[in-house]
Amino acid sequence: MAKRYDAVVIGGGHNGLVNAAYLARSGLKVLVLERRHILGGATLTEEIVPGFRFSVFSYVVSLLRPEIIRELQLPKHGLEILPLDGTITPLDDDYLWRVNDHGKTIRELRRWSLNDAEAYEEYGPLMAEMGRFIKPILSVPPPDPAKLSPGEWLPLTPLAKQFRDLPRRLQTTFIQLMTMSAADFLDQWFETESLKATMSASGIIGTFQGPRSPGTAYVLLHHYMGEIDGAFRAWGIPRGGTGAIAYAIAGAALAAGAEIRTEAPVARIRTQGGRATGVVLESGEEIEANVVMSSLDSRWTFIKLLDDSVLDPSFKREVLRYKYRGSSGKVNLALDGLPELACKPGKGEWLRGAISFSPSIDYIEHAYDDAKYGRPSARPYIDMIIPTLVDPSMAPPGNHVMSCFVQYAPYHLADGEIWDDAKREAFGQNVIDTIEERFPDIRRHIVGHQFITPKDIEDITGLSEGNIFQGELSLEQLFFNRPVPGWSRYRTPVRDLWMCGSATHPGGGIMGAPGRISALEYLKEKRKGRRAA
Amino acid sequence: MAAKTIDTVVIGAGHNGLIAAAALAKAGRTVVVLERAERAGGILRGSQPAPGFRAPGLVHTVGRLRPSVVKDLRLERFGYSTIVPTVRMHAPMPDGSAVTFWGDATRTAEELRARSVHDADAFVGFDQKVRAISSFLAYVQVALPPDPKSPSLADAIMGLKLGKAFRDLGAKTGHEAVRALPMAVADLVQEVFELESVRGPLCTRGVLYTAMGAWATGTAQVLLNDSAGTDGGAAGTAVFARGGTDALADALEAAAKARGVQMRTEHDVVAIRTRAERVAGVTLAEGSEVDAPLVVSTADPKRTVRLLDPVAVGPTMHWRGENIRQPGATARVNFALGGLPAFHGGDPERLAGRIVIGPSIDDVERAMDAVKYGRLSEDPVLEATIPSLTDPSLAPEGKHLMSVLFQAAPYQLRESTWAGEREHVGEIAIKTLERFAPGFGELVEAFEVVTPLDMEERYALTGGHIQHAEPGLDQFFAWRPLLGEARYRFLFDGLYLAGSGAHPGGGITGGPGTNAVRKILKDL
Repeated sequence: MAKRYDAVVIGGGHNGLVNAAYLARSGLKVLVLERRHILGGATLTEEIVPGFRFSVFSYVVSLLRPEIIRELQLPKHGLEILPLDGTITPLDDDYLWRVNDHGKTIRELRRWSLNDAEAYEEYGPLMAEMGRFIKPILSVPPPDPAKLSPGEWLPLTPLAKQFRDLPRRLQTTFIQLMTMSAADFLDQWFETESLKATMSASGIIGTFQGPRSPGTAYVLLHHYMGEIDGAFRAWGIPRGGTGAIAYAIAGAALAAGAEIRTEAPVARIRTQGGRATGVVLESGEEIEANVVMSSLDSRWTFIKLLDDSVLDPSFKREVLRYKYRGSSGKVNLALDGLPELACKPGKGEWLRGAISFSPSIDYIEHAYDDAKYGRPSARPYIDMIIPTLVDPSMAPPGNHVMSCFVQYAPYHLADGEIWDDAKREAFGQNVIDTIEERFPDIRRHIVGHQFITPKDIEDITGLSEGNIFQGELSLEQLFFNRPVPGWSRYRTPVRDLWMCGSATHPGGGIMGAPGRISALEYLKEKRKGRRAA
Repeated sequence: MAAKTIDTVVIGAGHNGLIAAAALAKAGRTVVVLERAERAGGILRGSQPAPGFRAPGLVHTVGRLRPSVVKDLRLERFGYSTIVPTVRMHAPMPDGSAVTFWGDATRTAEELRARSVHDADAFVGFDQKVRAISSFLAYVQVALPPDPKSPSLADAIMGLKLGKAFRDLGAKTGHEAVRALPMAVADLVQEVFELESVRGPLCTRGVLYTAMGAWATGTAQVLLNDSAGTDGGAAGTAVFARGGTDALADALEAAAKARGVQMRTEHDVVAIRTRAERVAGVTLAEGSEVDAPLVVSTADPKRTVRLLDPVAVGPTMHWRGENIRQPGATARVNFALGGLPAFHGGDPERLAGRIVIGPSIDDVERAMDAVKYGRLSEDPVLEATIPSLTDPSLAPEGKHLMSVLFQAAPYQLRESTWAGEREHVGEIAIKTLERFAPGFGELVEAFEVVTPLDMEERYALTGGHIQHAEPGLDQFFAWRPLLGEARYRFLFDGLYLAGSGAHPGGGITGGPGTNAVRKILKDL
């Protein structure tokens, strides 16, 4: 006799948990099934080296939707976000250091270029304004362009109206952000290479594109959409690592009455007459549910978990051609002390923020060129933070953890080669070599390390091809084309099977929006259905 | 004297200028065309790399010229006729083989079968998909871009005609179109074909005349727009003007004159004068002025902005104008050849269209990487045509004229100057062609190189960009060249932009000129 639930959520990552929390709050009997022994998916804190806790994959938070923090009362469930202040870009014999203190940053920029310092004063407010304009998009389900019935466009009508009422300059900026390369966009404003490179880096994180690839500009905006306590452009790390976010959300879900099971890998989704009726665990256990919510990417959901016979061939083709192309890796280091920058010795607060290995646009573009042709970057772009400087609880006293997000590390290697232990080691050592160029004493401090290739990301989290956004964020895979063209609204061709992960609009990052919007969409449809009945 | 009677000035006697002038004259305007060069024709005007050899202008095919333009201007009556070979594209491979793309997609597919059954089966379907999406883009190309300030933007964009055209595609093709337009051309072909020898040559269509690589978002749209309103399909067109592109220039010039258009060559406009919010006329290099309430500029948008008084334009708009992207990356090489080159897998029939060197996605991408670092590609993408194969009048008996597009040759060189690199372009082209047509070098009797800098100096193409403004998604439709200035009226009442920098963009289509006149007549 199979257990029965109103909803089963596949995947205990942040979106699955958010979805479960919202469904449970509305009184549904919800079960979350997580394959691993630990919750979080890619929002994960794990003690890899004894005494050292790493934010294994995602490492900062900025896009977590404030309505989720509010509605799920996450602080009450232990969420505490510690602000990260500033970004330093080490150079050969100098550095560029921007901090949240605006005046300080402007003084620093004047050191480099009076023009850039001036432009920066205009640029920030403009981008913040753009951010405020674009945020509504993150909260509405996307329309279906091939239908174009008023109903479909309705959610966007206010947006179109807002766009129309924007000043011409903002309209232009919006179009440019959606279509230009980060480099071209920034070239209009700034001349300092290290500034443009460091800013453009945010446009390429998690994508398989370079700063000169058209379409990378819009991610610049995300920086200005990040919110902590309503403050724009704020980035932070959760106390206890990003895994703490998952556990705070899980706490909210449990408080709302949801059940959560770990080490409960789903083998397949049960269907009957073209509709999902539950799941079967690898243990053989069967679980019935009125709706199955998958927070996995579309390849996992449809190709691995669904029986071929229920899929329309043309839909399956769409799923199979959806692009993943993981492009990033991670190097987490356990340190017995704080390393020093060659270009700015000492152990000051410049180490407390992000440390960006992005001296010039060319540097990052060259790194991308390597990846384009199937090689890890010889000199990668690294986005580094040292969480222990803001949250000492992550390592034994006096010790530190260093989190290095690395790009590029292509999932698909040249000549059909595959990632193996030797390649992982070479990848990691090359990253450390790159770090050593800026932190000469780094190797002396390393007491433990974790090298993560895109293949490892796939193997550990299940993210196809190690894409941290559950699908390449290229223009043609956004909005109404996520996660499959024509199925952008969390529903799938299989009735009662819904998607709620980063694969769906508005996409990846620790945002939680897909999990929330999908839950609200489902509840709305359920109410409609009841009224109809 | 004439200045009094003239009520319309057209800046530039390129194809768009001549087409606009003729249409305005037909509508009863008194039109003068001011052209800085010695002859009308713009980039259609060719050269003579050697005695007896007649090379085309900056473009060598004319397959995209709107049939409506040919008809309205009765171009046949003025000596214009075309040559349409059976072949579209011949792509020699480094291994000595070649892939030929025919006008007849099934013929292409059958020849592919020997290499890959999968690709043979996929080709016809891909060709149909390209045609379907392009048929929608044909509507976009004739449409007046929407006004971003219009009451309902969604309606404006998906407005009546367009919306209908889009819905007519049906849901499936509709999704395909929405998905394909912002794609990288490499993705467009990679997900359909398994052979690099098919992917590479198709990719070149997305990057030619641009500064973008095969992996650049929006390059699929370049390919699709190139096939819009033509029977180009997947392989694109290969249509030649009999007598070369000069013949088309002559026909356009004659047609305009027959409509009463006054042609003033060697009249270099150095300023567009405005009074209050209106255009007042233009000033010529030698100081004389031509007053007119209507000025139609077919100069590139950046140049047009620079012709205006910066104070009148205002700092913001001037800043925006200066930021219009016009990164020229194409050079031209014309070869006078002693005989027909022995391209891999080539015979006169297969060599009669476009011959494309871009054997794989990576080759195309690498060639275009050079733009990013301000270098000349050592392994360029080439598109060659041998018009003398189908039009012997272009070369002495038994000899051949070969026209080559060379990419990437960025206008902005970092470590060298174009003065120093000109010959180098020719050498690289010969070295490259030697690999795909053994013995090519010995056939070369003479060659001439046209660099992006030459293009800027000779044809007044700012940045040396043949398409005026880069055809990226950031300078597309409702925001080409600038959002809010895409509806042909440009910055001032009575001033209109009608060149390739306006929607629907570059190429010998006549689209900008025709669309602009439609709007002008509506506004009058």
